[in-house]
Amino acid sequence: MESANASAEGLRKQISETEESLRKLKAQLHQFEFQEKSDSAKTVSLDEHKWPLSAEEYKRYGRQMIVPSVGIQGQLRLKAAKVLIIGAGGLGCPAAAYIAGAGVGTLGIVDGDVVETSNLHRQILHGTEKIRWKKVDSMIASLKSLNPNPAYVAHAEHISPQNSESIVKQYDLVLDCTDNPASRYLISDICILLQKTLISASALRTDGQLIVLNLPPLPAGAEGGPCYRCVFPKPPPADTVVSCGDGGIIGPVVGVMGVMQAVEAIKIITSGKIDSSAEVAGSGENTKQEPTLMLLFSANSSQPFRSVKLRSRRAGCFACSKDSQLSLESLTSGSVDYVLFCGFTSPTKILQPEERIEASQYSKVRSKQHILLDVRDKVQFDICHLDGSINVPFSNFQGGKEDVVDGSSWIPDSLPNDASVYVVCRLGNDSQVVTRKLKEAGLDARGKRYIGDVKGGFKAWKEQVDQSWPEY
Amino acid sequence: MAPIGHFTVLYFASASSYTLKDSEFLPTPLPLSKLFDHLDQRYKGMKAKVLESCLVTLNLEYVDVPESATDGQDLIIKEGDEVAIIPPVSSG
Ligand SMILES: [Zn+2]
Repeated sequence: MESANASAEGLRKQISETEESLRKLKAQLHQFEFQEKSDSAKTVSLDEHKWPLSAEEYKRYGRQMIVPSVGIQGQLRLKAAKVLIIGAGGLGCPAAAYIAGAGVGTLGIVDGDVVETSNLHRQILHGTEKIRWKKVDSMIASLKSLNPNPAYVAHAEHISPQNSESIVKQYDLVLDCTDNPASRYLISDICILLQKTLISASALRTDGQLIVLNLPPLPAGAEGGPCYRCVFPKPPPADTVVSCGDGGIIGPVVGVMGVMQAVEAIKIITSGKIDSSAEVAGSGENTKQEPTLMLLFSANSSQPFRSVKLRSRRAGCFACSKDSQLSLESLTSGSVDYVLFCGFTSPTKILQPEERIEASQYSKVRSKQHILLDVRDKVQFDICHLDGSINVPFSNFQGGKEDVVDGSSWIPDSLPNDASVYVVCRLGNDSQVVTRKLKEAGLDARGKRYIGDVKGGFKAWKEQVDQSWPEY
Repeated sequence: MAPIGHFTVLYFASASSYTLKDSEFLPTPLPLSKLFDHLDQRYKGMKAKVLESCLVTLNLEYVDVPESATDGQDLIIKEGDEVAIIPPVSSG
């Protein structure tokens, strides 16, 4: 087994080295072909500096350049622009593809993750053969094939208070394509401090949100566009934050949001709005600031797109108001604690050891009369569940409906009141909360009935009992 | 369309998963300052878990939900209005 692993590892290495040298050869060839073309072009045109773009660029970007709102000026602005995409996932992939395709001059990508199988249904620049690659490398390889003209910069690390200033200051426009509250506040803050417009999008399940923040990108206290804190001053409680891994995501839903980010980026760049000094100089007194909108996309709704009008900067905003308490020093030194601000969920530990049972232990008591209460969402229950288990999703317990919490709506009348109830979920967090709620509602009949949580959920079940259990 | 004497409330993202609804009709008039408490009564714990970090719009425009009713300042949600409860979505 070990030697098989070693030779597989060796093969993988050999493949990636061969791919690397193939890539280099292709780049060389491209260089030569390009040279040939421009040499032959020279014989026709004596003055090679006559046109601001190369012949290839006119052809490549022609279809968008003849759109009146872009034009040659817009194309030159794109070529001069430096765009930063933070997050090379479901939002970042489509956003990057269209922005690179449109001919932006420099495109930076920030991500510290590697490509996994569960990414592929939505992260369209990563292919099956790129599993285990760094996402930034995988993305840039795809982008180079799409358009070799832009300069691509890989930042193979997660955005942090420490690196945010040095990365973001190299760019003109920032796209937040990340996946957690702490990074959203951090990116918004650094964009206020460095006066960058921020295009922020997010998606979960069948819904998405898009906001263009800090436009115009003016210093704190000036009448610039609102920041993320103006819109959401209070982060959601950490234990209510759902990731795509837990909540699920439809590929094209997050794709639509990433594509919309690219639309906004191209609009902002081609109209010359990324330069804050130009905005101030050219604004005069009666320039009306357009209201900031949030676009909401709900794929399953009868009205899938909705725009709501947001406020301008919030008086007293921590980051962008004249009373701002934020500085580059306080941010980069770590004295603004984003993790603490957003809270964190330590592994749930709300039960006593005797209120929990190992998965392997549970498999041994399955023959006795009992109830297995599966609190995953119904869709997950439908993918796989254990025979005889009862499904009552966790969300049904949240609203606090009495007949759910005291069991009367789901416990069969025939069940003796000393038969045990075991609670299970995907990873073993929600099941603990439910176990606690059931006991508080008195379902344990003053200790007559055992109520316990299957420790580690179905993840543990797969590890300890049934290796064939589908991992989804 | 909301029936007579009602307004529409739209639930997005975690507000929708908490209430298990996309929208519903609630009786008018309702002072905006009472909105969160009213919803918290219908859906136990919703105020702290969801509402306090939400963006709220009235007829597609941002509104500040006052912590408590301030004399005469309070907006009243009227018949036919549309209120949206928009929690931050951070994943992507
Ligand atoms: Zn602000």
